[in-house]
Amino acid sequence: MIENSFNRRDFLKVLGWGGAAVALTGCGNTSVQDGKEIISSYVEMDLPEYAIPGISVYFNSTCAQCDAGCNIAGRVREGRVLKVEGNPASTINRGKTCGLGQAGVQAHYNPDRIREPLLRNGNKGEAITWDKALGLIGEKLNGVKGDEIAFLTGGVSGHSKVLLSNYLEALGSKNHYAYEAVAPSVVRAANKKAYGVEMPRLHLDKAKVVLSFGADFLGAWVSPVHFSQQYAQFRKASNGGRGVLVQVESKMTLTGANADRWLAIRPGTEGILALGIINALGVAGLSLPADAAAVSRAYDAERVSRDTGISVEQITKLAALLKERSPSLVIAGSAAEGYAHGSQNAAAVALLNSVLGNIGKTIDAPHKVPFPQVDVTKGNRSSIQALNDGIAAGQIKVLFNYGANPVYSAPASLKFKDNLSKVSFKVAFAHYMDETAVEADLVLPLDSALEDWGTSVPEYQSEGAQLNIHQPLMEKLHADTRGLGDILLALLKQRKADSYNDFEDFYSYMQAAVLKNKSALGGAAIEDYPFWEGTLSKGLLAMSSSAEKMSSKVSAAGLSLPAPAEQDGAYPLQLIPYVTPNMRDGRHANQPWLQESPDPLTTIVWDSWAELHPKTAAKLDIVEGDIIEVASRSGSVKVQAYIFPGIHPDVISMPLGNGHTTMGRWAKDIGVNTFGILDQIVDKDTGELAINETRVKISKSGKRVIVVKDEGFAGGNQDGKKIAVKTSTDKVELSGEV
Amino acid sequence: MHRFLSLSILLVGLFANAGSYAADAPPSITTADDLGPVVAQPIEFPHNRHAGNRNPADAADPSVPAKGGMEINCMYCHTYARRSIVSGIPPLRKCIGCHQSLPSVRETPRIKKLFEYWDAQKAIPWKKVHDLPDFVRFNHERHIERFYFKQGKPVQEVCGYCHGDVKNMTVARRQKPITMGWCVSCHEKNHPVDAKSTKTTHGPHDCWQCHK
Repeated sequence: MIENSFNRRDFLKVLGWGGAAVALTGCGNTSVQDGKEIISSYVEMDLPEYAIPGISVYFNSTCAQCDAGCNIAGRVREGRVLKVEGNPASTINRGKTCGLGQAGVQAHYNPDRIREPLLRNGNKGEAITWDKALGLIGEKLNGVKGDEIAFLTGGVSGHSKVLLSNYLEALGSKNHYAYEAVAPSVVRAANKKAYGVEMPRLHLDKAKVVLSFGADFLGAWVSPVHFSQQYAQFRKASNGGRGVLVQVESKMTLTGANADRWLAIRPGTEGILALGIINALGVAGLSLPADAAAVSRAYDAERVSRDTGISVEQITKLAALLKERSPSLVIAGSAAEGYAHGSQNAAAVALLNSVLGNIGKTIDAPHKVPFPQVDVTKGNRSSIQALNDGIAAGQIKVLFNYGANPVYSAPASLKFKDNLSKVSFKVAFAHYMDETAVEADLVLPLDSALEDWGTSVPEYQSEGAQLNIHQPLMEKLHADTRGLGDILLALLKQRKADSYNDFEDFYSYMQAAVLKNKSALGGAAIEDYPFWEGTLSKGLLAMSSSAEKMSSKVSAAGLSLPAPAEQDGAYPLQLIPYVTPNMRDGRHANQPWLQESPDPLTTIVWDSWAELHPKTAAKLDIVEGDIIEVASRSGSVKVQAYIFPGIHPDVISMPLGNGHTTMGRWAKDIGVNTFGILDQIVDKDTGELAINETRVKISKSGKRVIVVKDEGFAGGNQDGKKIAVKTSTDKVELSGEV
Repeated sequence: MHRFLSLSILLVGLFANAGSYAADAPPSITTADDLGPVVAQPIEFPHNRHAGNRNPADAADPSVPAKGGMEINCMYCHTYARRSIVSGIPPLRKCIGCHQSLPSVRETPRIKKLFEYWDAQKAIPWKKVHDLPDFVRFNHERHIERFYFKQGKPVQEVCGYCHGDVKNMTVARRQKPITMGWCVSCHEKNHPVDAKSTKTTHGPHDCWQCHK
C-alpha cells in the first residue's frame, strides 16, 4: 500500500521529469562492456559429453513447491539451473507447471537461505559445525524418554519418511505429528466415510456438468495443474457438447471466475443446497434411493432458497441441468468443508454424486500404494492441536520440526508460540528462518529442493501409484547445507550404527532401497545399473498397484444438517480465508515472483486485503483503500479494503500467506497474517479446524491508501472500443445449456 | 521542504543523465575497424604465438621449433564454437596438457603463472573481450557452419570477420564495432551457400534471429 501523503500532482510532475531522463539515456549507445565481465573456464576437462557451454540440458526431478508432486524437468546451463518446466512423461502434470512451480528456482537461489547450523545463544543464532550440531542432538536425547520426543512435519512421504519413522522408532517415540494448515482434511474424512477412500480420482474430462462446492481446482486445490488439463478436455467436449461448470461458493475463486454460473451462497449452507438439489431431482422425475429421498424430503426448493439465498429458479435449473446431462461430477471443496458441520456438508455432496449415478463414471477409486512405508503421511490440523496439548502439559522435552510452520499458521488461540518455551530442546530443519525456526534452539540448514536427493509419493495420483524421484539439478550453492535424508541418516547412525553404517549417504540408501524392490517397480527384467540410470533419467517410477475398494453407493445414514447460523449482532460478517494460487499457506511468501504476480481476481500485488461486497461496503461507508480493522473474538488486524462483487454480502474474505514477522526480506512485514485471527472452532465429526467459521466485525480506522493493483477502474478504460463487454448475470440466456 | 528536496534531486539527476548522453556520441555504422579498449588479462596470453602463421624459414625442417606462430586451429582451444552459441574458453587442463611436455618454456614468467593456477586448481579469471548486451543472441555455431565448414574458408579468416586479426595479437582486443548496424551490414551482403555453389544468400533480417 502506498501512503497517501505524496500528492498526486507532485507525483505526476516527478514522473514527467523522470520519464524524460529515462528517454534520453535510452538513446545512448548499447552497453557493450568489453573487459568488464569475467569468464571463468573449468579447471578440469573431463566434462560429460552433454556439458557444452551455451547449450541447455534438462534433468528430470519433482517439484517441491506444493504437495501435488508434479514431475518437472529443470533446464540447466553451465551447471546452473535456470528454469523449471513440466516433465511430459508425467501422468500428473503432463509437461506443464503452474506459477508456483515456476517460482521454485527462487526457493533455491533465495539469498535468505540459512547457510550453516545455528545454535541459540541468547537471542542470536551462533554458527556451529555439523559435527557439533549432530553431537549436541545425541547429547540432548540422552536420558529423555521416547514419548517425550516428538517430530512435527508437514505432509511427508518417500524414503526420507522411512528414515524419519525409523529414527523415531530408534528413539522409542511414536509422536509423529503431520500438520498442514490448508489441507482438505474434512473432505478426506467425509470421503472415507461416504466412498470408502479418502481422495477418489476425479474425471472432469468425462463429465458433462461439473458442480463444484467451492473446490478451487484450477487455482489451489489438491492438484491444480492436473485438474486444469482435465478441465481443458471438459471444455473441449470430446464426449459431445461443451461441459458446463457451475461453482457454488461464498467468495469467488479462480475456478469460480471461470464458471458458466457462479452462485453466491450463504456461508455454511452448501449441504442444504446439495440436499435441495436431490429433492429437486426427485421432483423432476429422477428416481431416488429411499434413504436419499427420506433425508432430502424436508428440503423443498422454497425452503432451500430461503436458507441458502439461491433462487428457486436457479435450484430448479441446476437440477434440470444435472438430470439432463449425465454423467456429471459434484465436488466438495474448502468452501463446503470449512464449517463446524463441514463433514455433513461434504457428506451431502457425496450423496448427491451417488444419486446422480456418478460413482464409477466420473469418480472412481485411486490406486493403493504398494509400499505403505513410503506412502504419504497426510497432514491435518487436529495434529497440531494434539501436539500443542502435549507441549502445554509439559510432556514433550525434545521437538524436531521439518516443513511445518505452526508458529505462523496455527490459530492464535492455541498459543503455540508461548507453549514452545516449555520444550527444553527444539530442533528445526529449515531452509529459511521462518517463525518456527526462529523459536528453535538448534537450526539445521537444508539443501534446497533443487539440490537434494529424495523420493515422494503424491497424495493425488491420477493413474496408477507413482514414486517421484527428486534429484539435484545442480551442485549445492552453499557448502554447509545438507539434505534432509542425509541428516536423518547421520542421526540414525548415532542410534543404530550396525544397520546404517553400510550406507555412505542418503543417495546410496535410496538407491539400495529402490533396487531391492526393483521387480515391483517395473524393473524385474533389467540389470541394476541400467534400471537405476533409467529411473534417474525418467524422474519417476510407476509402482505395480491395484485400485482400492470403493463403495458404489453412498448411504444417507447419519446425515443431518443444522439450520443456517443465526445472525450474530456483535460479529456480523463471516470471515472466509482465501487460499490464493500464489501464496497457499504462506510457506513461499519469500519468493518475489509470487508476491509480484497479481492475485488472479483482484490483481493486488505485494500485500493483503479484505474483500467486501459493494452493498456491504456502501452500508458501512467504506471505499476501496480504506484501512479497516477486522476483529474476531481471537484477534484483529488492520488491512486495506477492496470492493469486489464476487462475494456474498454477509462475507468478508482475506487471503492467507502474508503477514510474516520473519522469513527473509521479501516476506517480512508484507501484509497481515489472516491465520492469526481465526477462531478455534472445529468440525464436530473430525475435530479439524473449521476454517470458515470465524465471525468478524469491522471498523474504519480513518486512514486511506492507494491499493497497488494491476487493474484499472471497474471495467477498465477501453476507449469505447468494447474490447471486453459486460452484462449482468440475470440477462444471460442460459436455457440453451439444459 | 521534503517535496522541494525530492524534486531538486530528480532535476539534478536529469541533467547528470543528459550530460552523460552528450558525451556518448552515436557510433558510426561502418565496417571500418574500431579498436576496443586494451583489456588487462591475468595472464598475457599470446594468441600470435599459438595461432599465428609459421615462420617460412622454419617450415623446411619440422624438428626446429617454430619461431613464428604454430598455426593452431582456433577451435582446438575454443572448442565449442562449432557446437554451441558460445565458443568457450579452454579448461586449464587443456593448457597444461601441452605445456607439461614443453620444458623449453616452462620457466618463462607467463607459464610459471599458468602452473601456479594449476597447482592451486583454480580457474583463471579471464576478462571478456567481446561482450554483447544481454538482449543480443549471437550464435557461433551457425557462422562457423556456414563459412568454415560449407564455404571452406580458412579458420583464421572466418573467426577474424568479427574478432579481427587475433592471430597477430597477444592479448585479444576488439577490432570491429560489433554494433547492430555493423552486423546487418554483413547480413545484407550475398554470400555463397557453399564452396562449390554459385548460389548466394544473405543473412537473416528477422529481428527475432538475434533478439529472442
